[in-house]
Amino acid sequence: MFVLPPPPPRYTIPVAYAAGAANGMAVPVVETNNTITHPERGCPLQVGEGTYILQDDLLLATPPPHPSEAPIINPNPLATLPTPPTTGVKLSLVTLDPRKMPPTFLKPGVTAPQFGDGNPALAAPPVAAKDASKRRKPKNNIIKSSSSFVSRVITHETSAKRLGDRDANGVFAFANINRAFQWLDLSSPTKEEHLTKVLFTKAHMLCHDVNELTKTSSHLDIVMGSSAGDIIWYEPMSQKYARINKNGVINSSPVTHIKWLPGSENLFIASHANGVLIVYDKEKEDALFTPDVNGHSEQEVRRLPLDILKSVNSKNQKTNPVSFWKMANQKISSFSFSPDQRHLAVVLEDGSLRLMDYLKEEVLDIFRSYYGGLICVCWSPDGKYIVTGGQDDLLTIWSFPERKVVARCQGHNSWVSSVAFDPWRCDQKTYRFGSVGDDCRLLLWDFSVGMLHRPRAHQASTRNRSSIVVPNSQTANRHRADSGDNRVRSDSNQTDKLYGDIEQTSHPVEPRSRTALLPPIMSKIVGEDPICWLGFQKDCIMTSSLEGHIRTWDRPSDSVVKS
Amino acid sequence: MKSLFSKGSKNGVSDNTSLLPCSLNLVAQQMLRAPRETIQIGTATNWHFFAQAANPPATAPPVKKDLQVPQISPLEKRLQDMGSIRGDGSDKFYGMENYGNTCYCNSILQCLYYSVPFREAVINYPQRTPMDNLEAALAKNLRYQNPNAHLEAEALAAKQKASSPPSARQAGVPPNPNQKPEDKDSPEYKKKVALQTLPILETKNNATSYGMSESLFTSLKDIFESVVASQARIGIVRPQQFLDVLRREHEMFRTAMHQDAHEFLNLLLNEVVANVEMEATKQSFIEKALPPTESADSLGMMPSSTGSKSPNTTRWVHELFEGTLTSETKCLTCEKVSQRDEVFLDLSVDLEQHSSVTSCLRKFSAEEMLCERNKFHCDNCGGLQEAEKRMKIKRLPRVLALHLKRFKYTEDLQRLQKLFHRVVYPYHLRLFNTTDDAEDPDRLYELYAVVVHIGGGPYHGHYVAIIKTEDRGWLLFDDELVEPVDKSYVRNFFGDRPGLACAYVLFYQETTPEAVMREQAQENQASTAAAAETSEAGKSNGSPFSPPLAHAQSASQVSPENTIPFSPLSRIPTAPPLSTYPEEPVPHPTSPQSAQPPLPPIPDEPAPPLSPKKSDHQLRKERRAMEKEKDKNEKNRLKEQELHNREMQRREAEELKRAIEASRADTVDFAAENGSPRKSSSFGFLKRGSRSLSHRLSKDKEPRASTSDLSTVPLLPELVPEAPLKEAEPAQPVTKPVQPTKPLQSPVSSPRNFPPISNPKQPKQPIRTPEPLAKDLAKDQHTNHTKPGHTPRWRSFSFKKVA
Repeated sequence: MFVLPPPPPRYTIPVAYAAGAANGMAVPVVETNNTITHPERGCPLQVGEGTYILQDDLLLATPPPHPSEAPIINPNPLATLPTPPTTGVKLSLVTLDPRKMPPTFLKPGVTAPQFGDGNPALAAPPVAAKDASKRRKPKNNIIKSSSSFVSRVITHETSAKRLGDRDANGVFAFANINRAFQWLDLSSPTKEEHLTKVLFTKAHMLCHDVNELTKTSSHLDIVMGSSAGDIIWYEPMSQKYARINKNGVINSSPVTHIKWLPGSENLFIASHANGVLIVYDKEKEDALFTPDVNGHSEQEVRRLPLDILKSVNSKNQKTNPVSFWKMANQKISSFSFSPDQRHLAVVLEDGSLRLMDYLKEEVLDIFRSYYGGLICVCWSPDGKYIVTGGQDDLLTIWSFPERKVVARCQGHNSWVSSVAFDPWRCDQKTYRFGSVGDDCRLLLWDFSVGMLHRPRAHQASTRNRSSIVVPNSQTANRHRADSGDNRVRSDSNQTDKLYGDIEQTSHPVEPRSRTALLPPIMSKIVGEDPICWLGFQKDCIMTSSLEGHIRTWDRPSDSVVKS
Repeated sequence: MKSLFSKGSKNGVSDNTSLLPCSLNLVAQQMLRAPRETIQIGTATNWHFFAQAANPPATAPPVKKDLQVPQISPLEKRLQDMGSIRGDGSDKFYGMENYGNTCYCNSILQCLYYSVPFREAVINYPQRTPMDNLEAALAKNLRYQNPNAHLEAEALAAKQKASSPPSARQAGVPPNPNQKPEDKDSPEYKKKVALQTLPILETKNNATSYGMSESLFTSLKDIFESVVASQARIGIVRPQQFLDVLRREHEMFRTAMHQDAHEFLNLLLNEVVANVEMEATKQSFIEKALPPTESADSLGMMPSSTGSKSPNTTRWVHELFEGTLTSETKCLTCEKVSQRDEVFLDLSVDLEQHSSVTSCLRKFSAEEMLCERNKFHCDNCGGLQEAEKRMKIKRLPRVLALHLKRFKYTEDLQRLQKLFHRVVYPYHLRLFNTTDDAEDPDRLYELYAVVVHIGGGPYHGHYVAIIKTEDRGWLLFDDELVEPVDKSYVRNFFGDRPGLACAYVLFYQETTPEAVMREQAQENQASTAAAAETSEAGKSNGSPFSPPLAHAQSASQVSPENTIPFSPLSRIPTAPPLSTYPEEPVPHPTSPQSAQPPLPPIPDEPAPPLSPKKSDHQLRKERRAMEKEKDKNEKNRLKEQELHNREMQRREAEELKRAIEASRADTVDFAAENGSPRKSSSFGFLKRGSRSLSHRLSKDKEPRASTSDLSTVPLLPELVPEAPLKEAEPAQPVTKPVQPTKPLQSPVSSPRNFPPISNPKQPKQPIRTPEPLAKDLAKDQHTNHTKPGHTPRWRSFSFKKVA
């Protein structure tokens, strides 16, 4: 028989876990530096076009806990206290080099109207910056800030020199890790050394985005959303910042995703964990938000899949928010703008993918995951397909014009955390996308139009039983057709249409037997911790992980030449 | 008795006892238990309030009020707008006492209780006379037990009222908190308080009233029924009797050692199947022996004789938990594919670092090579051949119990080790590994319970259960403690967090997309309030505001209308009181012999008044139906009122919350939430029950006291037969009834496509061998319990890939 050791105290913690490590990671006690390694034998990704070779692995330093943060004395694993959300490292990349911009697949000349067009209250003031060099900066200096929100800012001693010497076409990266936010120059020979590191007091930055429209060599507009709900507008060159939704005055729920509105200098959209999408103006002041109810009778509001608590057409546009939409009470995991800048694909924790015409503030369609919540979403570069990844370990390809699921992609061993198309390897017929997940894997997928529409052989007979046939192109066209007219639905025949809308907009789950299944072309474990972000660049593939590993794979040399 | 108790508390013994879920402070436990047992009466549900037993009621209420600020627990807060007590047990939230390392049992029992179909099946199983509904039957049960049923019922109601007002709870907290500074947020402290303040629910063997002999099933049923029938919403169950039976029949559970929750689940389900089927066999014997004559009809009271005839009634465990696996083996020599079906009650899946249960399940069905020492015996080409094998699910269970194999045998350490792999599990699930011809292959499951193991290894640690209740969200069941938790709390046990707590068994139940969407829509409405509530709960458990207490409210609202189904029924004159305690002294001498001929009638025969005339019977049914109808109307009316009230309450609560939060925001440090003081005395007075409630307490004191005096008398005869029973019971299955059960069971248990397997155990051999018999090795007692009588034929399905 065994000699049993005495039972340990009921709630013990391993020493390795320090306080504040909500996701189980060890947290250092002192401020440390980023490190970079160049794995010799690498982690090659072999695909048809060649081999992607791991160039380096940059490990971001996790900051120590803020001194004010009381060490957790009671590490009761059953503590029912809700832990504030945190996230793994995500990157926002920005380059001024036009050659590095992804190829576009859209017909030139077609431009989407601006968000809020037609609302005079939103019209840009006439003094709007004509000269790019005179862009408006936020008000406060982050280095000298006495804010209780910002803990401190660590600038690299030679950062000014490095900024001056750098290749103007190089790539900047912004990365969040724990309570820190780092600015890196990826084209620098010492890229592991941050240019600036901002440490926040308690809040973790969960998401961030760089404005593509306003970027210049001397100005970058960055917005980042925090676990406290606060949003920071940050200009790294001048080290200025402004705080929006301060103390959650508009919405106190954590910001799960944030993006600048395409084509807008000032407006950005943030999704909050309580299922709210809010459009903010970076330059407007906050005001205590009270839902706008004019324009909607209460009944109507309830029937709409989207609860517009403040419309972009509201006359009151002196303060933030610009618009406020309640989508559901489930967490919004992520969202993505269509390449034509007219639509928004939103994925939620309840497993739904909701397609929006955000210019008109309507939900067009609701799709459901096979099961479990959806985590990430992106559009194909031509805007025809949407790919989502979620807790069913699947990637799902949806056809936007046909409004239906076209394939499910099986290959991950755990939840899919990020998905992205590789526009350099897409053309009108074939598409390449990649995905990463909690299984520490990077997967690459190819699909072509013909392939997707081929159902699985032995299920062909059951196809006609399908009950969910979508009035495909019609639905799509209808919404496009009546653009521009009034959005306010108050007259009765409009309301009738509304009923029909709702029935059509919600699509049931397609059974497995009737959906094409796509295998990956490449699957590789690339690290030892969950991967949470994936990005394609002209010359590389990049991933970042929960614990702060940023890995870069160089593209096979011949393929770059080809494209 | 009184002195004993108070002495105990003074010495601080009671301080220690309740916090020992897993450590073995049995002596102290015993001391605590002793006084309680003496109060016991022979009823299925015994409420005691030992505060009340210990303190004269008169002194209890107002005097002590200010000694301690009563706190409304987070659970009570969540239950605030519950309305009236329901009859189906879905609104009961009971902790379970830990008798030293019995958390494995508690957590599993809780998971089973909150499986709605399982609970209903257990409650309904020995079918009662056709028209009987549960409530009536329960009322009957109570009466079987206790001639003073109506007195009891009143006492119950009163007591439960008594339980709610702080006066009583206070008296139950003997040590002044100032005496000994304790961490009030520690689960130990909370458990102790719970054990001292909440109503205690005893379960007793009620088997004969079901027409069954005592078994694990009947004691499980005893627990479920007494919880369902109880009048209080919260409390603590003492599963002592269940554990006694378990330990009597299974040697491996006799030690006070840490046990494996999954193994226990499997054993319990198998036992329930065996018990139920054995009983059914017996019944069929009886029916053969006694042709259905007037006399048999007069036995209509004996539930099972009328109900369980049809074969379906015994199959409910199968229908819930059982699924079918098909193993397809393709001989690589002759290419012949042979199929074999096997049934399972739960699935054991191997784990990988950074994976999901979806992927673990897929791995489970991945192809496997049978080669080298593990070759396949091909009937076609004869002899051992290399083969390819894969397992798919052919029939999906309604409740999918997934066992994550966290305990793995490691060669170099020569023992089991716990794997702290991060294995994520979604709230919803579908199975990918189904056969092409499976029915409903896209069935949607929802996660409804998680059994969590806390600890560094398989030989020690603690189990808790996190369960989604029907309409009160997710609750954490940690032995005596029941606490509401956030939905996201369920995700804290993927295995990567500090604290050694990992999900160990996952319970998924079937659902529909519509139901899920409906629920999500409801979450929408509730979540704002809930979020506020939980964050509030985190900051301070003693919420500063207290609209009516959960049970206080239920008591006051319910008593006029809702106790009706119970109390008046028990007074119906057609069923005269039984001889006291028939089931205890009577059956025991008889049961051993009666194993062959009719068992259940025997306890009946000495009590002729039990068999009413038909007309009486019918009359009763009608009356019952009428009452039901009336009740329904009343309930509807109540419901409307409730809804309104609820809305008002919610609004009020929210406003209050907001106000309080705002005021607190200034003072409470964000980071120091954990340790912040939990009481705000300013609102304390609100929490006290109204005075009328405490009056009730004193009123019911008299009958209570008298019964407790009486109870000492019957206690002795009760205890004596215990011993012979222990020997008689295990012997029973081995001898006679087993023989008939086997042939009868196998056709029942094996679906049509089962034929090739004559011995259902055989196919498991090749599957299990590759596994180093991990569990079996560690717990060699395991083999012991397979020896006697009923070998569990369904085991959890697990295998390890050779590759």
